[in-house]
Amino acid sequence: MRAVRWIIAIAIIAVVCWLFPLFHVVPLKKVKAEQAATAFNATRFAENFWTNQLLPSLNKAVKAGVLLPAIQADPAAAKKKYARSVGLSDAYFYFLSGTGRVVSVSDDAISLAVTDGTTNAEISLQTGLIFGDAIRDGTGLLNASDYPNSQDFNDISAALDHLVETRVLPGLRQQAKPGAKIFFAGCAEVDDESTDLKPLNVIPIQTKAE
Amino acid sequence: MEKAKAAGIPVFCIDREINSTNAAVSQILSDSYSGCVKLGQYFVKTVGKEGEYAELLGIVGDNNTWNRSKGFHSVVNRYPGLKMVAQQSGDFDRAKGLEVMQSILQAHPNIKAVFCGNDAMAMGAYQALVSAGKDKQVKVFGFDGADEVVRMIAEGKIAATGMQFPKTMARKSAEFADEYIKGKRDFPQKVPVAVELVTPENVAKYGDYGKK
Repeated sequence: MRAVRWIIAIAIIAVVCWLFPLFHVVPLKKVKAEQAATAFNATRFAENFWTNQLLPSLNKAVKAGVLLPAIQADPAAAKKKYARSVGLSDAYFYFLSGTGRVVSVSDDAISLAVTDGTTNAEISLQTGLIFGDAIRDGTGLLNASDYPNSQDFNDISAALDHLVETRVLPGLRQQAKPGAKIFFAGCAEVDDESTDLKPLNVIPIQTKAE
Repeated sequence: MEKAKAAGIPVFCIDREINSTNAAVSQILSDSYSGCVKLGQYFVKTVGKEGEYAELLGIVGDNNTWNRSKGFHSVVNRYPGLKMVAQQSGDFDRAKGLEVMQSILQAHPNIKAVFCGNDAMAMGAYQALVSAGKDKQVKVFGFDGADEVVRMIAEGKIAATGMQFPKTMARKSAEFADEYIKGKRDFPQKVPVAVELVTPENVAKYGDYGKK
């Protein structure tokens, strides 16, 4: 009789454990695949953003022919009128476009003269390794408040910088011969109001030989 | 945070991020990633484009830890000659930083630099380097802008740090709370606060957890 009770008890425990298991064995590959599927994909986001939002917005960039004289006349007023800043920071961004003539080419920059008649380098298109948030933050199209995890927002920066290096710079380096006329659109990050803006360092988003 | 919100208690976050855009009224956060991009660029400039280095991470579950590490590596990883030979957590703690640095130095005596996710670990790492007689060989990089580290940068003991401006963050939070009490409800969910690079070249401008 006692043995029967034990068997019944074990059977009940076995059924309960079968219906409500204390743990699940899940293949690690499956878990990683599920995590990857739900994780934010900054590369994919950046590619979509580049094509569908960034390039169509280039016509909203301030013209270099307007911005450069404004900076020369009154940097603080130019900043107030044309720049944008993010959060609490002394740094600010210009989103600009224009056409200039190549005055010099180095390993990591191509200098342009924009104003008619000048041979001074007024714009320096950055062509080395691209770092920082100028493209992400310079246009105002993206906002940190839209991202629950700031790591995702920061990954967008790195992905956009990579797109500049792979989609823009190879062509620009080929176009940039001294004397060539080049259209550019891009973003400039300025550390603070004491920064020397001659030339203005611009990370290009689009360039064309004219 | 969700419970506080449900109870009608407005919460303003300072420095430590929560992964949500609707629990806190506003989050005022150091832009750790961008600050460490600047630190990474300065690291390459001062250490060079070749050599072995180590990294002391903060608390591994903290966003700040990874934003700092990712910002730093977004730069340094572009230079294949720079080899990270050790990456260990020092939990943002000075004593743990010292202990971890001691073991790293035993395994990797030829490192040229160590990047630390905060200044407490940087001070611990520096102590370990002094004990090992390697404080002139290994450059130490921190993050926070702690007063003691700013002094150590001026003395040439630590190479650089990122100044976080905690007083600016606290002041802005207090201003937001005041505006909230007076009826305002429309606040930016996340307010990044710029981090500035502090080096021997500009250290005179910094102190007391901010700009002088």
